[in-house]
Amino acid sequence: MLFQRCLQLGWWLFALVLILPVLAGLLGMLLPAAGYFPALGYHSFSTVAIQALTVTPGLGKMVALSVSTALLSALLSLAGCIALLATFFQHRGLHRLQHLLSPVLVIPHAAAAIAVAFLLSPAGWLSRLVAPLFGWELPPAFSVLNDSAGLGMVLAFSLKELPFLLLVSLGILTQPALRHTLTRQVAVAQSLGYHPVTAFLKVVLPVLYPQLRLPLLAVLAYASASVEIPLILGPDNPPTLAVAILHWFNSVDLTDRLQASAGALLQVVTTVAVIALWLAGEWGLKSWFRHQITTGMRSTGRRGLPIVAGMTLAVFGVAMVTICASLILWSVATFWPYPSVLPNDITTIHWQLGLGQLSGPLANTLVLGAAVSLSAIVLVVLALEAGQSGRSPGFRLDSILFVPLIVPGIAFLYGLVWLAQLVAPKAVWIPVYLSHLVYVMPYVFLSVAVAYRQFDTRYLQVAASLGSRPFRVFYRIRLPMLFAPLMVAFALGLAISFSQYLPTLLAGGGQLATLTTEAVAISAGNSRRLAAVYVIMQMILPLAGFILAWWLPTLLFNPMTRRRG
Amino acid sequence: MSLKSSLGAWCLLVMISASQAQEVQFHAWGGSVQVNQYIQWLSKQASQELGISVNHVKLADTSDAVSRVLAEKAAGNTRQGSVDLIWLNGENFAAMKQHGLLHKGWVSGLTHFKLTNPAQNPGMTMDFGVPTDEQEAPWGKAALVFYYNQAHINQPPHTATELLDFARQHPGRFTYPLPVDYLGSSFLKYIAITQAGPWQSLLYAPVTDEARDKITERLFAYLDQLHPYLWHQGQQFKRQASGLQQLFSDHQTLLSFTFTAAEVPAAVSRYDLPASTRTYAMQDGSLSNVHFVAIAFNSAHKAQAIKLVNFMLSVPAQAYKQRADIWGDETVLDVSLLSGEQQALFVPITAAPSALPAGAYHKMLAEPHASWTEALKAAWFDRYQRHH
Repeated sequence: MLFQRCLQLGWWLFALVLILPVLAGLLGMLLPAAGYFPALGYHSFSTVAIQALTVTPGLGKMVALSVSTALLSALLSLAGCIALLATFFQHRGLHRLQHLLSPVLVIPHAAAAIAVAFLLSPAGWLSRLVAPLFGWELPPAFSVLNDSAGLGMVLAFSLKELPFLLLVSLGILTQPALRHTLTRQVAVAQSLGYHPVTAFLKVVLPVLYPQLRLPLLAVLAYASASVEIPLILGPDNPPTLAVAILHWFNSVDLTDRLQASAGALLQVVTTVAVIALWLAGEWGLKSWFRHQITTGMRSTGRRGLPIVAGMTLAVFGVAMVTICASLILWSVATFWPYPSVLPNDITTIHWQLGLGQLSGPLANTLVLGAAVSLSAIVLVVLALEAGQSGRSPGFRLDSILFVPLIVPGIAFLYGLVWLAQLVAPKAVWIPVYLSHLVYVMPYVFLSVAVAYRQFDTRYLQVAASLGSRPFRVFYRIRLPMLFAPLMVAFALGLAISFSQYLPTLLAGGGQLATLTTEAVAISAGNSRRLAAVYVIMQMILPLAGFILAWWLPTLLFNPMTRRRG
Repeated sequence: MSLKSSLGAWCLLVMISASQAQEVQFHAWGGSVQVNQYIQWLSKQASQELGISVNHVKLADTSDAVSRVLAEKAAGNTRQGSVDLIWLNGENFAAMKQHGLLHKGWVSGLTHFKLTNPAQNPGMTMDFGVPTDEQEAPWGKAALVFYYNQAHINQPPHTATELLDFARQHPGRFTYPLPVDYLGSSFLKYIAITQAGPWQSLLYAPVTDEARDKITERLFAYLDQLHPYLWHQGQQFKRQASGLQQLFSDHQTLLSFTFTAAEVPAAVSRYDLPASTRTYAMQDGSLSNVHFVAIAFNSAHKAQAIKLVNFMLSVPAQAYKQRADIWGDETVLDVSLLSGEQQALFVPITAAPSALPAGAYHKMLAEPHASWTEALKAAWFDRYQRHH
């Protein structure tokens, strides 16, 4: 009975952790936005905050920038994803592609942004390579970095989101039942003379897209409201709305907080508008697409899509290779005068300096990541187990999973900090821990849920029929058999926790330095070489987690060694 | 099993938060490698000699700490503040003083404060024209110096007027940070002072509407000519001073400026600036100021913070800070008051070619009254329609 109670409790905790901080934070944002801010002497509701916001110069541009970059980057990554899937759907290369792209998924956004900045900088590698062609002795005076249209941002978002969409799609397409049906339908289509690419577009895509919609909306919401990439790659004047809000919240002038809260409200509206625009576009294209499916054309997209897929792979490959190579070079470079392709000499002083400063932040990052990831797994497993044993209340968990992913962090995190100040002004770790948990849990849930769905429940039935109590079945059968996927989920949780910038910065009041907060601070600083060291560390850490996750289960549960023992 | 380990992690978390509460939280801008290393040295010394542990909270912007203390006061937190010591001056000090956010009446009690000779050096008790009133203690001195890339520039500009000619000859190779940044507003002040002509004295009194109009008319006449020749035609500005150094490092700009002259040779020795970098001071004057440390009104560790500040003003700590290979920040102590042995600690070691030569300063320009920072900033944003 105790076990059942625990399951129920776990389920409720899981739901509360997902929803409560977001709701509380939104409340903490809404009150000041409505002009109620007693600490500043505003005791009644008014439009003072809204007015302060509306007179901000360049507000329209900020919103437009957030909307256009979000839509464009989502569109680009979706197009790349569909082109790759269509071209390689029945190809063995698809799984190789999956292995190639998954490391990109775990690179923190901040690290990706800094890395792209390295590449696209007027003094970066690309520029040095083409300098002889144009006779440049000094870097060009123009740049796509921090450009007012935000193109650098779009590139970074697309590079980061494409692997996410692709891996989610593969997750959907490899569900055994679906895969079986689709493979047969595609075979039928091909026997009717449809080109494989066209068959994918007309048979698989209509099934895939509706399931891809929610992750896609999360991508849109993230791109329209996150701060890491715009802070590093976006324009400064005006920046995106989210970055402007960040500046207002940090302003010396405390009354700017009213404007910031109203801005956060506008951010929610903007994000909703981005999603609405996307859905409207989807609706507009629907009838055209329906018509296309039934035209009987056998070779739609046959030429174009493989070209797009090839280009996507080329851009991706070139970007990844040059980014890694230039990061490594910068991290060991001595003087590196402009058009030289290689530095004058190499040195280890940047690594010595960087590693010397990193020990504190590294310890914080690891302790926090491990604590958050472990708690997330415990809650997720309890919640899933409760769901399986019919102990959960009526509604499905999937519906609330995306709440923290779709509500802009910048909108609710400040409200959360404000409330945390009232409750426990000295606490640093607990608020950071909670705010990380909000972001880690959805991903851990998605990752573990797949394993639960694929679990052969007959093992459990056999164990139960042999007289084992539910707890014993769970502890002796379910957990050991799920060890490998749980380890992967743990590594995923670590990676998500490592990558959190805004939650760490805000909830910790800047007192808790992690690898990511330090890297963003350093990238705005004066040493490109030191920044390279930090970014490499940021990339290595989550990868090390995944390598351990793949390797430990074979070590601990290797049937060969077990038999011998 | 997983429940047990998660309990363990919780205990660890609680322990760490508890131990953190006993440290002096020193909130100081963290964008400079040298400063960070010096503060690291400082905290090591403090724990060895005073038994005080110091945590450097690296700020991207000092105003972050100011707004945190403000928020704590707003939330009624008067005893358990998260900010103990804060490194600041000028506008941030004026704001904190005005809102009653600082601990008062502790500076004259410092045994080492006498060594700054405050009776003879008004700069030790006056911060951007605002009396310090024992709410902050001086820590160091700095002046605005320029640096250029000798490999591409033979003759750098020596006055604000020559700077205009330089910009025309080398379009896109110079810029200044947005005035939200400390260095950005300092550049505006340098131009305002040198261009003010007969109105210069207005800058040393609290700003009035009339004074602002007179000063900004000449300032904007200058900037209007300069902007088309700036990096990105003056359409984009770096938000932070450190971004300026990175542009120079990338050879995108060929002329730049800083408040910490010693940062230049140190950055060259780390390969972050080209070996051909040379530092100099402008002939028409170098804007100079003192920077301070203050204690938040709600700090829970005031006694430890005061002890720490006294140590920061000691001869060894100040001499170490002034060493060009450490930070190179000029001491606030009046060296003539020290013994011969102590004075020897402040004699510079042979300078690198990229360092500011001895005796390079032509003329020091005092900081305008603190109210001008906000006034110039606001006028600048108004005129150039930027967001802030």
